[in-house]
Amino acid sequence: MEKLLQQACKEVESAELFRVKSKTVPVNFEVNRLKSIDISESEGKALRVINKGRIGFSSSTGSEGFDLIVEKAAATSEFGSEASFDFPEEAKRSKKIKINIYDKKVEDKSIEEMVKIGEGIIEKVGDFNRRLRCDVTIVKNCNEIEYHNSRGGNFSYSKTAIAYSMMVQKIKNQDMLMIYSSIESGKDNLDVEELTSEIIENLEWAEKIVPVESWKMPVIFTPKAALVLILPIISGLNGKMVLKKISPLAAQKNKKLWSDLLTLYSDGTIDFAAGSAPFDDEGVEMKRVPLVEKGEIKNFYYDLQTAGRAGVESTGNGLRASSQSEPVPSISNLVMEEGKISFSEMIKDISEGIIIDQVLGLGQGNIISGAFSNNVQLGYKIENGKIVGRVKDVMIAGNAIEELKNIAALGNKAKWIEGKYKFPHIYLKSLPVSAKK
Amino acid sequence: MREIFEKALKNKKNSADYIEIRTEKKETTTIHFQGKKLEKIDCSQQTGGNVRVLVKGGWGFVSFNHFDDLEEKVREAIEVASLIGKEESKLAIISPVVEIINRELDKDFRQISLREKKDLIENYNNIIMKSNLLIQSSNVIYTDRFSTTYFANSEGSYIEQEKPFLSARFTAIARGEGDNVQLASESVGTTRGFKIMERISTKAQKAAFRAVNLLKAQPVEGGEYTVILDQTLGGVFIHEAFGHLSEADFLYEDERMSGLMKLGKKFGSPKLNVVDDGSIPDLLGSAKYDDEGVRTKKNYLIKDGILAGRLHSRETAVKMGEGPTGNARALNYRFKPIVRMTNTYIENGEIPFKDLLSGIKKGIYAKDCYGGMTTFEMFTFSAGEGFMIRNGEIAEPVKDVVLSGNLFATLLNIEGVGNDLKMIESGGGCGKAGQGPLPVSFGSPHLRIKKVVVGGK
Repeated sequence: MEKLLQQACKEVESAELFRVKSKTVPVNFEVNRLKSIDISESEGKALRVINKGRIGFSSSTGSEGFDLIVEKAAATSEFGSEASFDFPEEAKRSKKIKINIYDKKVEDKSIEEMVKIGEGIIEKVGDFNRRLRCDVTIVKNCNEIEYHNSRGGNFSYSKTAIAYSMMVQKIKNQDMLMIYSSIESGKDNLDVEELTSEIIENLEWAEKIVPVESWKMPVIFTPKAALVLILPIISGLNGKMVLKKISPLAAQKNKKLWSDLLTLYSDGTIDFAAGSAPFDDEGVEMKRVPLVEKGEIKNFYYDLQTAGRAGVESTGNGLRASSQSEPVPSISNLVMEEGKISFSEMIKDISEGIIIDQVLGLGQGNIISGAFSNNVQLGYKIENGKIVGRVKDVMIAGNAIEELKNIAALGNKAKWIEGKYKFPHIYLKSLPVSAKK
Repeated sequence: MREIFEKALKNKKNSADYIEIRTEKKETTTIHFQGKKLEKIDCSQQTGGNVRVLVKGGWGFVSFNHFDDLEEKVREAIEVASLIGKEESKLAIISPVVEIINRELDKDFRQISLREKKDLIENYNNIIMKSNLLIQSSNVIYTDRFSTTYFANSEGSYIEQEKPFLSARFTAIARGEGDNVQLASESVGTTRGFKIMERISTKAQKAAFRAVNLLKAQPVEGGEYTVILDQTLGGVFIHEAFGHLSEADFLYEDERMSGLMKLGKKFGSPKLNVVDDGSIPDLLGSAKYDDEGVRTKKNYLIKDGILAGRLHSRETAVKMGEGPTGNARALNYRFKPIVRMTNTYIENGEIPFKDLLSGIKKGIYAKDCYGGMTTFEMFTFSAGEGFMIRNGEIAEPVKDVVLSGNLFATLLNIEGVGNDLKMIESGGGCGKAGQGPLPVSFGSPHLRIKKVVVGGK
């Protein structure tokens, strides 16, 4: 790779080369049966250059000549954004030197073993009810990342991930019930029971359909549904949105905006979490970055370029969506601090309200304004402190920036979602709910 | 390419029931302006491929970027497929095809310099930024992509297809008092060439105009309304809510689902006709052959209100005892072909727009779309622009209009089908099973639907 960089630097002033080699093996079960096994190998290179103070970028996959990427990167730098940073001279960790993100047992896991895990999951849920449709995916992934820049900064690491995910579907006349659940880790330590017990619990609650009146009522978001409220916040705290003054949170730093209960941090140093790594995708050390503390915004998150423009330091959040992308400010892992109340205590506290577990239309609409409006795809009605059944044809709507001022309580058992978000249950005092008459 | 494929397929035909190899070469240019600045400019190349094999009913799939050793990839795919296969392989029969399809462009974007493209997009961005003092920022994203796919299978087909794609998306962000931030988007997609991209300044103006107008709009009051959908939203509705249910991969192994989608069942009024057609020349979802080498064609999904057909891959067609429809599509070489829509639309009815409005005391005219989603029978989508309808007239603008409901009930609630069908070619695309955005087009005449739930305060 260093040779390639030298080649690039004949054409441009400085350059950075990012390479990802990846192998992903998903084993898919559909309608309770093993359906397909894929082996997906990929390799991609991305070249970012700074030339005459401007940024250029090109990428390629496969064995295409490197000359072409250099030529294209140099060509794009002619019009590129003005660089407000230099490539880091070294990639070095100061705190928490070793972050565990690789487990050989994941890489070595045999396809036969993965098939057995999937069969086991289907068997367990089948024992509860034989008439369900179960789709299961067991997937393992191994990434090798390599980074070099012409100022001397370089690093490389390997990272593993394994995930079990399941969709259970039950159809009765024209009613379709769908429940999703998944667990993910960098380490081969996943517990099938965690996945299946959640599904079975939901199936029990969902047995009966009950009516709801349109009204403002108390609502509990499960960790799985918490993104409804948190996605707008993630988007509003993005340094780029702040810099461009698109974010309504831009002028709110160090101001008390939300409930005392709300503490959020981005943390790329958590062992075996999906967003963890020693460095972000441009050689800056990954850190724990407090974003919100006790309802007060403490930091926005940045990559090098955005930080340079804003006149602050990168927070180590310069991540690439793929080997074909430039770094942009992104969340590594996002953790919301737990509260003190258990989920069952929250339920007991509510005389009439709903639990929201899955929604349609997540991230749809004018997210940056904080607005959300979702169909409750899976939700439950609470009456007099008890779950009485499932709700249908119900919409929720509100503004996350406003609603988070009225947190009644946070759960005391946070759960990892998609391997990178850790959220507790969020109990809101009241939220508008509209139901079909 | 053909010789490499033939070499890899030779000698392997006895170890699998079916083998296909698909490779792809593509070049992409992206230019992105945000606010006053050029945010990103990027030229990239991708080459890659995959092998898909069927052994005793089980599929093995291997994808890669280096295809110097295709024979080894075929061997690997056979190995994993053999772990699954326990029954008989079944694929709808099609005749092998050998064809090379080249595309003529109305201005070939590969011959346009990066500077010229940048200047054009910058000009559109300036139109937005300078249109009104309330415009705070913009997002203008231009993409062009020229891809060539190479396909061969063990039945003797060899197909090369050129697939050009261009898109431009204009988003205007307006800020009013306090936290009132509103955005509006307009987008254009095409396969026809650069010329269309040179003539879309009205789209940029429209995005800015709409964003500023939304600042004045009040949030819609939640409840049940009679709603008129414009051609875009009608198209999104038929694609998202109904089209996905017509995709046979969800149905063929699931008796209960296929029961719900039984051919011959009444789905709407006799005025309702729904079509998916990948053979219309040069639309975003068009191709002469799908990614299994099956010829595309016009397929009626609903005819005179009755469920008339569905979309198939070779596997789902034979398993449901129906004919192949040419709807197996893969996003790119990293993915297997799965059942997808192409160009999906509601055919014209007879009612002029004005007559659709008449008689509505209090309703909503919902236009354009931010996005939509569906889980089987439940759908939700956000209108990009909304107006109240009062006493048969379009009245004040409203915002945050999110429509939601049950597909089956909503289709039956379509009371009026307009006579102004428009095919929408937007820059976005369709997502399914992690494969997105796949270029598709959709369309509809104006539709009048009763009893639609609109979320809101």
